[in-house]
Amino acid sequence: MNRAQSSVVWRLLDLLGAHRAWLWSGAALAVSATLSGIALMAVSGWFITAMALAGASAMAINYFTPAAVIRGLAIVRSGARYGDRLITHEATLRALASLRAWLFRRLIPLAPARLAMWRTGELMARLRADVDALEHFYLTVLVPSVVAAAAMIVVSSVMAVTLPTALPVLVAVAALAGLILPLWAKRAAADDATAAVVSSSRLRGLMLDLLRGYGELLAYGAAAGQVERIRQLDGRLAVHRRNVERIQALGSAFSGMLAQIAVILVVAIGLAAVRAGALSSPLLTMLVLLSIALFETLATLPEALANWHATQASAARVFQLADSEPTVSEPAARAAVASMPDIRFEKVRMRYANETFWALDGIDLEVRAGSRVAVVGASGAGKSSLVNVLQKFYLPQSGRVFLDGRSLDQLRGDDVRRRIAVIAQQTTLFDRSLLENLLLAAPDASDAQIDRAVQVAQLEEFVAGLPQGYDTVLGDAGSAVSGGEARRIAIARALLQDAPVLVLDEPTEGLDTHTADGLYASLDEAARGRTLLLITHRLAGLARLVDEVVVMRFGRITERLPVADYLARDAVELNEPAFR
Amino acid sequence: MQATDWLRSQARRIRKPLLFSAGLTAIQALLLVAQAWLLAEILSVSLWDHATWSSLWRQWLCLFLLPPLRAMLQMRARSLAFDASQDVGAHLRMHLLERVQALGVLGLRSRASGALITGLVDGVDTVLPYFARYIPGAATAVLVPAIVIACTLPADWISGLVLVLCAPMVPLFMVFVGHAAERASHERFEQLRRLGRSFVDVLGGLTTLRQLGAAWRVADELESEGEDYRKISMQVLRIAFLSSLVLEFFATVSIAVVAVLIGFRLLWGDIPFHDGMFVLLLAPELYLPLRALGGLRHARMEAVAAIQGLQTIDGALSASAHQGTEMVQCAGPIATSPEIEFRGVRFAHAGRRLLLDGIDIRLGRGLIALVGESGAGKSTMLDMLLGFATPMTGNILVNGIDIQALDLSRWRARLAWVPQKPHVFDLSLKENLLIANPGADGDKVNRALADSGLDMVASRLPSGMDTRLGENGLGLSGGELQRLALARAFLRDSADLWLLDEPTAHLDAESARSIGRLIRAAAASRVVLMAAHRLDAVMSADHVLVLHDGKIVESGTPRTLLDSGGRFAAIACAEIAG
Repeated sequence: MNRAQSSVVWRLLDLLGAHRAWLWSGAALAVSATLSGIALMAVSGWFITAMALAGASAMAINYFTPAAVIRGLAIVRSGARYGDRLITHEATLRALASLRAWLFRRLIPLAPARLAMWRTGELMARLRADVDALEHFYLTVLVPSVVAAAAMIVVSSVMAVTLPTALPVLVAVAALAGLILPLWAKRAAADDATAAVVSSSRLRGLMLDLLRGYGELLAYGAAAGQVERIRQLDGRLAVHRRNVERIQALGSAFSGMLAQIAVILVVAIGLAAVRAGALSSPLLTMLVLLSIALFETLATLPEALANWHATQASAARVFQLADSEPTVSEPAARAAVASMPDIRFEKVRMRYANETFWALDGIDLEVRAGSRVAVVGASGAGKSSLVNVLQKFYLPQSGRVFLDGRSLDQLRGDDVRRRIAVIAQQTTLFDRSLLENLLLAAPDASDAQIDRAVQVAQLEEFVAGLPQGYDTVLGDAGSAVSGGEARRIAIARALLQDAPVLVLDEPTEGLDTHTADGLYASLDEAARGRTLLLITHRLAGLARLVDEVVVMRFGRITERLPVADYLARDAVELNEPAFR
Repeated sequence: MQATDWLRSQARRIRKPLLFSAGLTAIQALLLVAQAWLLAEILSVSLWDHATWSSLWRQWLCLFLLPPLRAMLQMRARSLAFDASQDVGAHLRMHLLERVQALGVLGLRSRASGALITGLVDGVDTVLPYFARYIPGAATAVLVPAIVIACTLPADWISGLVLVLCAPMVPLFMVFVGHAAERASHERFEQLRRLGRSFVDVLGGLTTLRQLGAAWRVADELESEGEDYRKISMQVLRIAFLSSLVLEFFATVSIAVVAVLIGFRLLWGDIPFHDGMFVLLLAPELYLPLRALGGLRHARMEAVAAIQGLQTIDGALSASAHQGTEMVQCAGPIATSPEIEFRGVRFAHAGRRLLLDGIDIRLGRGLIALVGESGAGKSTMLDMLLGFATPMTGNILVNGIDIQALDLSRWRARLAWVPQKPHVFDLSLKENLLIANPGADGDKVNRALADSGLDMVASRLPSGMDTRLGENGLGLSGGELQRLALARAFLRDSADLWLLDEPTAHLDAESARSIGRLIRAAAASRVVLMAAHRLDAVMSADHVLVLHDGKIVESGTPRTLLDSGGRFAAIACAEIAG
């Protein structure tokens, strides 16, 4: 084990440190259950041979003690096994609760800037599997390894004392069957295993394309071809998996065979020793049964080893993610944000990682407390980036943003966001009830407040139509919500936050004219007494909602003018059908 | 069908290899007995009769030959079951794919494809260990104890009797305790999955949680949910593990009893040492497969859960897609652009109110705009022309022939389609375009790129046209997606009917105008049916159809409709007045 690998173990143990007592007592019980099982077999072997000898030579023998020991070991083993399973599971479940929370807390500061690449479903599924592997590290890796090591130490010590000549055989075969063969199998199957992972992820992509793009595939006559591609890839995947399985089967069958041969060799070496007078017959039978029991225990090692490899890879990924530095640093001291802040951007330039162009290219913008401003511009002009910077999700490379004269650098992100309610273009509805979704924004909101927010967001009809009203579960697992409905729920949720600054990023996208009109009307009311920053394409109804329009283009602000002036100019263009 | 029934029915399909595998396991178990017998023989003859090495050479030789033989049998048995499971997997996956396709475009649109994918990929993979591991394990757990007991009885009937009495107690108690425990552990398993889902759910929405200021609170929630789960689980496990306690107890106690009884009878000279040793070597082998089976029960549980998940796909079979019959009349390509007629078309989505309530229209060459509130049925009309949906009553005629009598694939060859939410395939940008026309040459592709304004996007991408776009069209905005779909339409030069579903919805005013100009030009030689929201797009049409309450309420040129002061005029005024 090299340094990097061992550090993963220590780090994991360190993380689970709070449950140390459970972890070690579980392992101790597992060890005692196994050792008493091994001892039971060994004593039994010794006992029957000694009794047979006594019977043959008509010698007296104290049979009470060994018979009692055998019965006692049987009881101890059963009890210890029960305790072992109970305690190891207790430890695992404790680890589960704390590991997930730990990882989640580590990831919070990384969203969204550091997690941008990582939003896709596949990576998410992998992360979940990784965390799963870490949670089961104790049960599937640590406990079997400790048990195997304990059994190995005890049995080889007994062997060293009673039949030292057989010790090399025992150690060599244990190493071969428990470590070397599994490692060989892993290496031999590595190419196919990698290919299987790649094919499997590709297969997922092809299927996703088939399901999501089924309309296009049908319309363009490409569906049958896609199914054929899937069938072929599935065939290739099966071949890779078969190869991996063959090698693993070979490894484990070979290990079992070696273990049996080792036992036969112990018999041979032992018989020679008996003949030479160096070993008694009862001890020989004991050693034979001891070896059989040892190899039975060691048979769990290959699986533990495989799990260990998987855990290592998982841990490396999880730790790498958890260790990434947030792009946004938080000040040590906490400063209060004014309850009704003025917002000011000063020469702000911002560029996303891996992008070559400036998303914000020298923004100077002042939004006074209580004013209402619309931001318009082509897609990609930097409107959403403006919001990202304002929320302190992304740091500008140069320039600064001030809330009430205090730079964002001096403020904590959480405090900033408490003052700014944002309805982003992509908001998530969680796999919970509608009520729980709303309460995320304000856990202490009263019924009246919730009803009010729902009313403003034009959701009353929607709620009335839900099978269980507010208790209807939304999201993937629950009731399907249309894009427009999701947007309105997000709006209701943001309104519940009761923040002095309201930022809406394309709130009417996906809504029909009628609903959009209604929403603008109620937003007018909801925004009363608040600062409103509205990013939009929609010009209808804009005059009622905002006072000024800021026009953005290629990351710059090109114009700022009263809404009436802007609309007067644009309405002319609208009136005149463009392609006559 | 119950999940377990389904699993059994599939196991019947691969009965032959599974039975063969079980047969090999049985032979392997007999060899195991032989091995124990030889070992006992060698020990007894050497220790008691002081036999020489040379007199035992046959026994030694056999003893060394048995382990490799057993290893080979084990390997073969294992790979037989594995290969059979892979066959089930391939069959199951293709079957599910058919089922999923049978849902049709409309059926798929209304479902979360993420869940379907998980079912198709992970679900199938999770089912397979049931065949590859659980069934062989279960067979071993029956065969090996039976063979071991059958061979023990003649050698030493008292020990055999102890084993006969104890061994069945294990499965018996497992059923007793296990039945309740299994249900409980199934619930626990479901709970754990829910917990996992909710973890992924909040991880995916981390940014939203931060915006809401709820992230730290949710972290605490995760911890306390995990703790609650632990407490409940441990209550269940205390009982569930009783079954393993019973197993351990009977396994160890029966071995202890056998050992003690053998010991005393050896002391009294009732049995030869050989038989005692033979039984003691075999006794532990009886319980090994039973113990292993306990570990495999998880595989079974996961398989059952996965099948239950898959059943949601299977269950929705009833809505079968429209199957195109052989083309009857519409032979060969039609030189002129198609004349399309809707005659009394009515349509409703399964279990919903009537969406289209008698549509009667005739469409000819030119740009026709379809106007109406979202959800009014504009997209459904396009879906019908695409063959994704079929009228409940009424007909759609193409040059006088019912669309249902057409060969769908040949009919579709004449269409180009810009859906509301275009799909980006996990392919390069170029390949994404070529979906529409695999034979298009470089010039055509470049022209389509330029026409749709996608060339700007291509120049921004790291490897230009060859950049792989990946899941969710990584890196493309809503407007760029629409341009991509438009480029596909431009590439489709065989198409003389264009179906456009809000092609400029996500574009800014300037881009919308330039795209509009191209659509306008395309309509010179084609039928272009365009569902539209934006006034500027509608005003350029040759003809406007206003859809309201399932009927076409107005029809005419945009100018006349605007002047008539009807519904269209009202919508237009509202937009301008804003």
